[in-house]
Amino acid sequence: MEGVERDEPQAADAEGSPMEWDEPANNRKSRDERVNLTTDVEKDDARKIVTGEAHYTADYSRRFPDLAHGTVVRSEVAHGFVTDIDASDAEAMDGVYAVVTPWDDVVPDTLYSSSGQSYPEPSPWDMRVLRRHVRFVGDPIAAVAAETSEIADRAARAIDVEYDEREAVFDVGAATEPDAPRLFADDEVENAQSGADYGRNLESHFEGEIGDVDAAFDRNDVRVHETEWETPYQSHCVPEPHTTIAYTDEDDRHTFITATQVPNHTRRQLAHVFDVPIRDVRVEKPRVGAGFGSKQEMAIEPIAFALHLAADRPVKLEMTRREEFYALRSRHPMDLTMRSAVTEDGTIVAMDLYARSNAGAYGTHGMTVASNVGTKALPLYPRVPNIRFEGDVVHTNLPMGAAMRGYGAPQGHFAVEAHVDEVARDLGVDPVEFKRRHAIRKGDLDDVSTILKDDDRFARRIRSCGLDECIERGMDAIGWDDVEQPDEEHLHRGVGMAMCAQGSGVAGKELGAAKLAMNEDGSFHLHVGGVDTGTGNDTMFTQIAAEVLGCRPADIVVTSSDTDITPFDYGSYASSTTYISGTAVKKAAEDAKERILYWGSKLLEEPEAHLETEDGEVYSEETGASVDLEEVGYEATYGHDEREQIMGDGHHSTDESPPPFGAQFVDVTVDEETGEFELDKLVYAADCGVAINPPLAEGQVEGGQHMSLEYATSGDLEFDDEGAPQTTGFRQYGMPRTTDHPPMETLLVETHEPTGPFGAKSIGELPTNGIPPALSNAIRDAVGVRLTSLPITPEDVKAAIERRGERT
Amino acid sequence: MHIDCTINGNERTFEVSKTDLLLDVLRRDGYTGAKRGCDTGACGMCAVQIDGEPAMSCVTPVVKVDGATIETIEGLGTQDDLHPVQQAFVDNSALQCGFCIPGMIMRSKALLEENPSPSEAEVREALSDNLCRCTGYKKIVEAVLDASERMADRGVAADGGRSSDRGDDCRCAGATGKTGPDSRGETRR
Ligand code: FES
Ligand code: FES
Repeated sequence: MEGVERDEPQAADAEGSPMEWDEPANNRKSRDERVNLTTDVEKDDARKIVTGEAHYTADYSRRFPDLAHGTVVRSEVAHGFVTDIDASDAEAMDGVYAVVTPWDDVVPDTLYSSSGQSYPEPSPWDMRVLRRHVRFVGDPIAAVAAETSEIADRAARAIDVEYDEREAVFDVGAATEPDAPRLFADDEVENAQSGADYGRNLESHFEGEIGDVDAAFDRNDVRVHETEWETPYQSHCVPEPHTTIAYTDEDDRHTFITATQVPNHTRRQLAHVFDVPIRDVRVEKPRVGAGFGSKQEMAIEPIAFALHLAADRPVKLEMTRREEFYALRSRHPMDLTMRSAVTEDGTIVAMDLYARSNAGAYGTHGMTVASNVGTKALPLYPRVPNIRFEGDVVHTNLPMGAAMRGYGAPQGHFAVEAHVDEVARDLGVDPVEFKRRHAIRKGDLDDVSTILKDDDRFARRIRSCGLDECIERGMDAIGWDDVEQPDEEHLHRGVGMAMCAQGSGVAGKELGAAKLAMNEDGSFHLHVGGVDTGTGNDTMFTQIAAEVLGCRPADIVVTSSDTDITPFDYGSYASSTTYISGTAVKKAAEDAKERILYWGSKLLEEPEAHLETEDGEVYSEETGASVDLEEVGYEATYGHDEREQIMGDGHHSTDESPPPFGAQFVDVTVDEETGEFELDKLVYAADCGVAINPPLAEGQVEGGQHMSLEYATSGDLEFDDEGAPQTTGFRQYGMPRTTDHPPMETLLVETHEPTGPFGAKSIGELPTNGIPPALSNAIRDAVGVRLTSLPITPEDVKAAIERRGERT
Repeated sequence: MHIDCTINGNERTFEVSKTDLLLDVLRRDGYTGAKRGCDTGACGMCAVQIDGEPAMSCVTPVVKVDGATIETIEGLGTQDDLHPVQQAFVDNSALQCGFCIPGMIMRSKALLEENPSPSEAEVREALSDNLCRCTGYKKIVEAVLDASERMADRGVAADGGRSSDRGDDCRCAGATGKTGPDSRGETRR
């Protein structure tokens, strides 16, 4: 009995095959030709940053002489109803401008989701600006605006809240039991997601299958492997805490200077919550002290706006580090079960992954993050004919999970990449060879990424894949075949590898737009909706535009992300910026270039078809005659018979989402007596397509590994029995410091992605996926024990070694 | 009450309350280069130098700096004339969002003044109280090592890194220099 319907994916390089892609001729340039992309262009805000002149939201305070400072009052109980708020003492204090509670007129009662996603949000609308029904310690109940933040804090402490406390549930398993306390009544959620069953605290259930998994597991020539995995909360530790300044300007524009990754989604959601037209809301993103997904959330803007309305003056709301840890957002904890069916000759015939996610108190990004657990890691194995993926997203009375760099993929990679390693070791075969045999290759059709959709329009044809080269070069760099054991008998050294994949944008759910205008002196203004949160996108945009226009990146002034000024963009998330927004910029530049050639042709009196731009000139490929972009600019602007400002428009949306690929290597030495382990080296080899600005791309890989290292070894949030947070500062939370980092090596393995701008893919998230499985694999290699829950601590290793001792 | 101190070479008097913390006073006065990352002395994003020593301004009571000499990121170099440490951070792409960078640079400068040619391990040790979420520290450590070489080349170590050719002292409050405190808070992006 076969039960296998899925075709073996075929390498399809031949002409007329589905590999064909209508790539514009100018998109593929050799390394020497793409001058503006391969040279190390200085990050455009680097000098501002190192001189302290870069301005983040809080730094704008001085613009507002009558600025009020906000503080949020948060629930001290994990579950209950607020029955009364006595704010009279607070209101009577000198310097207090306003106190807002859920009963105030300026505080809307509208249900919404804080997730900054496309419309309608694939997250339930289950929260209100201030909450009477509180569902975790940290839920916002009231807020104060005062002359200084000290006064606001003092006033907040003087507010008395009375609760009708309810039983809380903190365990995902217990939360779905029939007698569990219920977090949401039916009328407390709109826009509920598929599979939701609020009677069982279930925000969503989903499942998808390719082939016939049960039949494959029933085959009598297969061995079934089953492993269980557990992952913790991880804090974004976003360097700049969430900060917003809300005010209404003299033109009645409700304006938010705000640290966000999603200005346009935030504008739409604010309009929805406060029932004002979208056009009356303006969201300006200044420099942002990074987001990592935490700022893909409208976490504080509505409270700031309510305070602004009540106090009738500009309000700044800036979170404390404490609040960042317990009251804002985190990576979802999960438990996962991974099964596979493998034949004796070492062929995986079926994989089955189940993930249960703890969404915490609200459903922001709950279902979408959990679905990415399977749809990012499982596509690494398209040669496996039968694959099933299933998930539950469960509410508990703990802080909410949300988007975080990697977006479910780190959890999925831990289960899949460590499980497959274990299977190989069980079979007695080399885990790397075993993975390579099954792994994705150029030409494959990746339909696993669509496993939860009934629409295979988004099945990804893999047009670029450097995974094998990543593995090859990574093995060399880590010294895979040549691991010397330490002299001490109790020390054992091992190496581990994990393959990684992500996407570039969300297939079928993206839009990026850009506008370019030429000045008379031959310089340009680029207005782009794409959001730079510190990664260097603005610089990358000028490089792409300069490459098209034949000028220097420094000749392009970029303005990004002010909803009154710049075009629409879905925002900076899902590794979309280089791929989606970058393509929009390229198109805008091409549009402008057409007009430049038109004017060049008038000046040079040669047909446009003969003309090209380079080094700030329009020149003729036929005669060699040339004219400066500056002359073109003056002629277009001030010409005798005809005038125009040369402009270009570009927008990009696509069903494509090419995965960047990578391989993470870890070299570890384990002390068998104590369980202590030391990471000797990390190597990450990343296929980013063409690297636009290689040092910035390396920076993404290095920063991603930093987060992945933390996830693997030190990050977690702890709570007491009442759900009160125990991790509220950097000192309790294990964020790796300079001295905690092992040597790191980054290898950029370039491929060419024909659907990306000049062949690029996005790699912002990819490197967050590798260290947990690679470390688990390396420890297994060193001392023969398998660590299945994160973070991996010396105590866990010691316990596992002791269990191993008992077994043998 | 008021306190007197020297900030980036300028003598200043501040009207403060006893409980004020240095970071708040600096930021209120327009020295917004020092960032508020935690307010508990645990992240290093607010680091400045007080009498030549690195200090977390968010936990330094302002009364403690009466009569002291304070250096902030604003006093180091201008965009057109960067201090070698700043230049090294730029050239090594040792920055992303930049929120940690002023603190990192002030700490690195203090290190190099004390130990002009540190080993990599010494750099890592010196920066271990300064958190960065974006870079993975690799390029930052490389930048500090690079800065140490540049400073050795320029011979600035001899005067403790206070070579006057960077014009540290000429940007008094209210002057037209574009890094003068009064222009901060107004510049967009
Ligand atoms: S803000 Fe001062 S150490 Fe964190
Ligand atoms: S560059 Fe963002 S925190 Fe260091």
